[in-house]
Amino acid sequence: MRLNECDPGFKHEVAAEPGGAGIRACFACAACSARCPVGANRPDYDPRRLIRLTLLGRREEVLASPLIWLCSSCYTCGEVCPQQVRFTEVLTAIKNIASREGHAPPSAKITAELLAKQGRLLEVTDFENDKRADLGLPPVEQRPQDFQAILGLKPSEGEAGEEPR
Amino acid sequence: MTNAQLDTPVLILGGGVAGLAAAVDLARRGVAATIIEREPRLGGRASQFCCKATEACARCGACRLGELMAQAAHLPQITIYTAALAVAAQPRGDGWQVELAPQPNGEIGPGPGRPLSERATLNAQAVILAVGGEAFNPAGKTRFGHGRVEGVFSALELEAMLAQGALGPKAMAPAKVAFIQCVGSRDASLGRLWCSRVCCGYALRMGRVIRGLLPESEVTFFHMDVQDYGRAWEEELPELRKQMRFVRAMPGEVTAGDGGPEVTYALAGEQAIKEGFDLVVLSVGLGPPNGASALGELFGAAKDSDGFLTADGGPAGVFVAGAAAGPRSLNESIVHGGLAASQAASRVASLSEARHG
Repeated sequence: MRLNECDPGFKHEVAAEPGGAGIRACFACAACSARCPVGANRPDYDPRRLIRLTLLGRREEVLASPLIWLCSSCYTCGEVCPQQVRFTEVLTAIKNIASREGHAPPSAKITAELLAKQGRLLEVTDFENDKRADLGLPPVEQRPQDFQAILGLKPSEGEAGEEPR
Repeated sequence: MTNAQLDTPVLILGGGVAGLAAAVDLARRGVAATIIEREPRLGGRASQFCCKATEACARCGACRLGELMAQAAHLPQITIYTAALAVAAQPRGDGWQVELAPQPNGEIGPGPGRPLSERATLNAQAVILAVGGEAFNPAGKTRFGHGRVEGVFSALELEAMLAQGALGPKAMAPAKVAFIQCVGSRDASLGRLWCSRVCCGYALRMGRVIRGLLPESEVTFFHMDVQDYGRAWEEELPELRKQMRFVRAMPGEVTAGDGGPEVTYALAGEQAIKEGFDLVVLSVGLGPPNGASALGELFGAAKDSDGFLTADGGPAGVFVAGAAAGPRSLNESIVHGGLAASQAASRVASLSEARHG
C-alpha cells in the first residue's frame, strides 16, 4: 500500500454523511466480523476490513467494491459493538457516497425504481388488500410520492405518480 | 439512649489494602486512626487474589495484604471495627461527626479488628474514603455466557481458584484457556468508557501462572490492544507473548459446545471461526464502588465523569484512596493510601497547631 494512494479526507467525508459519524469510535476489535452473517457466507466480506480501508483512505477501493452492497442490514454488528459504531449505518453512508459517484450496482437502481413506482419494495396487490378486507382492515396505502421526492424524480405533493390505493 | 463515643483523629472507611496502608502510614507518623470495615473481616478484594509468581516474584502485591493486616493488628495507634457501616455524617467543628451502625452480615472471620456491637458516634478531623471499586458483573455482558455456559468464569473467580492451586472443575489437568479482555470496560454500549488498567496485567500474569502450574496448558489472550502496565512491563511483555497466543480480536460470543465453551472470533483477513476451550475467563473491569452516590452524598465527595469518587472540589477533611478513586492495582492502591494518609496527617497537624498555637 502506498501512502499517496490514500485519501486522508475520506474518513471525514464518511463521518460527515448521515449515520457515518460512528466510524470515529472504532477500536478495530472485530466483534462485528465475528458475528456478521454475511461474512459467514462470503470469506471476503469483513466489516472490520471495510472500516480499516475507509480509515486508511482507500477511497476508490472502498467505493468501487461490490462488497459494500452485500450488507443484509441485520444490525448484529451494532448489537455486539462495544463502541456503538453502528456499522450498518456507516456502510449506508459509504453506499450513499458510492451511489452519487455512479458505483451503485444495477440491483440498487432497480430497488430505487421500485420504491419510486410503488412506495415500497413489494407491490401491494389485490391479494393482500382482499385478505385485509376479509379481516375488516383498511387497504394498504402506497405513497410513492415521498420516495420520488427523495430520489429527485418528481415534486413531493400534487402530481403524485400513483394515487393512494 | 446515647451512642458509644469513638472519637479519632482520622476515620478510614474500608479495610482493604488502601485503607490499611493509610492506617499504617498514619501510625508511623504518630497519628491514630480508626478503620471501619463493612464486611465481617478485613482485606477487601485483595483477600481473594492469587500470587502471580512463577519462577520469580511478579510483584503483583497479593502478599502485601498479609503484611498490612499484621502491622495494623499490632500498631497501638490503629483501632479496627469490622461489620460496621457509616450511616450518617455531618461536618462538625473542625471535622466530621459520623454515625456508625453494626452490620449483622454473617460469620465473624478470624483476623484483626472486632465487630461493632452497637450504634456509635465518632468525631474525626479527617475522613479517608477507601471503600474500593466494584468489579463488573460479567452476566451483564450476556453474549459471553457467564452464568449460562459451563466453563465460563470471571477473572475474580479464576483468582480464587488459583489461590487454591486449582484450575476449576477439571482441577489439575492441563487445560485450554481463553482470556477475553475488556469485559465491562472501554464499552460505550454499557456506558463504561474507561480502561480498567489492571486487567491486561492480571490476565497475562494468571495465564503465566497456569502455564507454570500445568505446562501443557494452552493460553489464548483475546484483546483489543495491550495496555502498557507497570515498570517492567516492556521487558515482561515479549516473554509473555512467547508463552501465550495473542489474538487481536474481541470474540462475538461464547456458546456451549460439546466439550466445553466455544468462542466465536474473526482473525484479520479471515472468516469467523468457532474454537473450543476448557475454560473461558472474562477479564472484568473495575468500576466505581456500589453506593458511590450514597457515600458521596454522605460526605459531600464529588464523582468524576466515570462515577469514581474524587476529593477534588470536595469539602475539607475528606480524602479518597485506592480503587474507589479509579481502577488501581494493589501496589498502586497501597501507594494511594499512603498519599491520603499524608494529606490527612497534615490536616490533623495544622488543626492541632491552630488550636494550640
